[in-house]
Amino acid sequence: MVIRLKPTVFLTLQAFLAALALSVSASAQEIANYDPEEAWDGNPDINGVWQAIGTAHWDLQDHEASAGLPEMGAIGAVPPGQGVVVGGEIPYLDSALEQKQANWDSRPTGDPETKCYLPGVPRATYLPYPFQILQGTDKIMIVYGFAEANRTIHMNVENPEPAPLDTWMGRSHGHWEGNTLVVDARGFNGEAWFDRAGNFASSNLVVTERYTPISADAMLYEATIEDPTVFSRPWQIRMPLYRRLEPNARVIEYKCVEFSEEILYGHLMKREENED
Amino acid sequence: MKCRSTYVESTKLIAKLIAALAVAFPFALNAATPNHIQIALSSTNEAVSWYEEHLDCERVVGRNDAVVCGDTNIEFFVGRTVGGSQGSAVDHIGFSVEDLDAKMAELEDVGVRGSGVRLIRFDDGALVRDIPGLFKIAFITDPWGTKIELVEDEDVIGFHHIHLNSVDPAAALDWYAQVLDGERESLKGMLDGVRFDDIWVLATLFTDGRPGITQGRTIDHIGFQVADLDAAAADMNQLNVEFRQDPVVPEGGRSDAKQAFVLGPDGVMIAVVEPGWAGIEEESFTADNSDSEELYVVPRTPWGEPDFQGIWTADAAHGIPLQRGVGAGEAGELTPEEAAARRERGTLNSIWGYDREWRDTTLGYVRSAPSTQAAMVIDPPNGQLPETTEAYKQLVANAPPRIPPQRARTPVDLGTYVRCITRGPVGMMMPSIYNNGLQIIQSPGNIAIQKEMIHETRVISTEPREGLGDGLKTWLGDSHGRWEGDTLVIEVRNLNGRTSYLGSSPDMKLTQRFTRTGPDTLRYEFTVEDPAVWTEPWTGMFNFVRDDSQYELVEYACHEGNYGMTNTLSAARTLDAREAEEADYQE
Repeated sequence: MVIRLKPTVFLTLQAFLAALALSVSASAQEIANYDPEEAWDGNPDINGVWQAIGTAHWDLQDHEASAGLPEMGAIGAVPPGQGVVVGGEIPYLDSALEQKQANWDSRPTGDPETKCYLPGVPRATYLPYPFQILQGTDKIMIVYGFAEANRTIHMNVENPEPAPLDTWMGRSHGHWEGNTLVVDARGFNGEAWFDRAGNFASSNLVVTERYTPISADAMLYEATIEDPTVFSRPWQIRMPLYRRLEPNARVIEYKCVEFSEEILYGHLMKREENED
Repeated sequence: MKCRSTYVESTKLIAKLIAALAVAFPFALNAATPNHIQIALSSTNEAVSWYEEHLDCERVVGRNDAVVCGDTNIEFFVGRTVGGSQGSAVDHIGFSVEDLDAKMAELEDVGVRGSGVRLIRFDDGALVRDIPGLFKIAFITDPWGTKIELVEDEDVIGFHHIHLNSVDPAAALDWYAQVLDGERESLKGMLDGVRFDDIWVLATLFTDGRPGITQGRTIDHIGFQVADLDAAAADMNQLNVEFRQDPVVPEGGRSDAKQAFVLGPDGVMIAVVEPGWAGIEEESFTADNSDSEELYVVPRTPWGEPDFQGIWTADAAHGIPLQRGVGAGEAGELTPEEAAARRERGTLNSIWGYDREWRDTTLGYVRSAPSTQAAMVIDPPNGQLPETTEAYKQLVANAPPRIPPQRARTPVDLGTYVRCITRGPVGMMMPSIYNNGLQIIQSPGNIAIQKEMIHETRVISTEPREGLGDGLKTWLGDSHGRWEGDTLVIEVRNLNGRTSYLGSSPDMKLTQRFTRTGPDTLRYEFTVEDPAVWTEPWTGMFNFVRDDSQYELVEYACHEGNYGMTNTLSAARTLDAREAEEADYQE
């Protein structure tokens, strides 16, 4: 297996993305005009603490307000939000819709986020927590707080070998195209979801991410999602990422394992003697 | 360039075992006999002892790296491997014993922990299978991943066969018969093979793609002896045999005899040697001390900070006890052989129920020589932890008994390591039997330290900044970094105190220091100040060793795959139910 896209597929994808860009990029001019600060290597400086703002972590698509956990009242409810899917539709194959529905039905305990599992890509990006980018010499690291997730983006590998095994966060290789950091992420285990609504992909998922600075404190994040076993065509999500401007902004370690143990092991616990 | 030359040197540090079948036999001019098999491991002394103890081999007089098994010499070399022999083109080697049932019972009795014998069971759970018409067979692996078949063939006792994996077994056997002049025969009329005097070469059809090439695996190569190497090489050339090395007297050879390398079918590396061949002198097995601290200039990042970036491992430090033991020697250092033996013991003793495949340090994946450091504690200078306080002694005396795992009521009883939360701010850096990788990535003013075990990443700012407030404490705390010369100093504050290292209290203060002392050496010091527990501060130290060229931190999704938690709790509840049942019965 070769990591790179086959040329034919690649061309199709490029044409598709070009069409997308024409139809939705109201900010295209703005992006083209912005001249970002340079990092030590002359590429745009995207070091820092960033966060997505919005409700994509609830549902990538348009969603109305809905009830959540009744015992949490309005705090547990799902807020309404505008979708981030370009064109609005996620092109599921008929055969995959059943799984999407099953995920939705089982989400209070079935969502990997509930279980404090590694969030996968692109979900880690738009979880409602900050993440930090470090632009190193040959690698870029992204450190997320939730479940101590992180990614190493290899910038120095010309012809990547396939990932040695499938993982939650996959394996990422990147390069710069002008002011855009382009990341090819694959080698996923197919266990992660995209959101709390149960949108999902299989282990055949390939995510092509584009991080483009659009101002000193914002980047455009675009992720193209391909998985021929689940979707009838590639599709894209698109949202800004905002720099956290607090002088002491941090990614705080969020070890969530202990909060998942009731769901995972509650049926195996002996309670009466253990009130600590 | 300096880096490159050190890398070459460090590749010599890992283990190799050579098996030399020195068979006294009058050859026809170009008839070959099996001569040696090279298998990788991490300590020649340990290997000699192991083969002496378990396969009735005897130490070759005057050498600490070779044994003789029947008529067969086995030589051990220190070298690196990328995995065991199973699935490579030489799948395993066979030894014949007089009473296989007794042998396996003996090995089973010895057990995994003490000896490092791993027994491989057949699908039905049995250790021994009797093949009607052939003989009884069984499989084990040595501690370094070499698969060994034990058979009960009364015709030949001792070294018995070399078993190949091949995509075309018949063609492979034909090759050995033709090129090396063996007899194409059938073993007991049941197994096609090639017989070289008493030793068989057998082959099994490999159906899972292609078998791995032998070079770099525990059985690195096999060797055959011919009466006249130059004449044999000429014949082999006529047969279009692929030479990997023409006949030469190798550097480090123990005699003036020549050796050549050819490539056999399916990627089997084969040495061909002439009479008088006595192996190659073992390469020295010492830690890299080539760069003294005074002379080493720490490289800089492009933006001018000391550059620690790359992948480092604590594999070399595995086995170093925290405190200095009695009789550690006046110099406080072990010999390299003692260090190798200590790591081997440490690896074997530090497990409870983990398969050998988990243990990086046993398998021989490790590229770095075991540390010769006597103990981690460097302050107090006697290598011992300071006295504990009276208050702490009281605390320990009054502590409730620990709940054993089989009685665990909830995950909390099993501890934060088993729960895949953390080993704590001190423990997270410590060497372990697997997942010793440490990746460091820097950006201007920041340094990320990613630990493979459990998967934990700390981002440390090296610029002064406001700390986290008192109201926010975390498992690994708030790391305040600064450069003191070329040393990264990290003060860890805001610890939530929910983990303890050897009894440390929630008020423990931890200071960590990282210094690059050589191209491949990152010195790590940690100072614990905890007046509630210890009467004075103490400092531990060990080195991380660079392993950029082969090591990648592969995601350890510890919690996601924590089947052990489910199984442990489930077992505990089963015990509860059984006891309740017995109690009911007694009433």
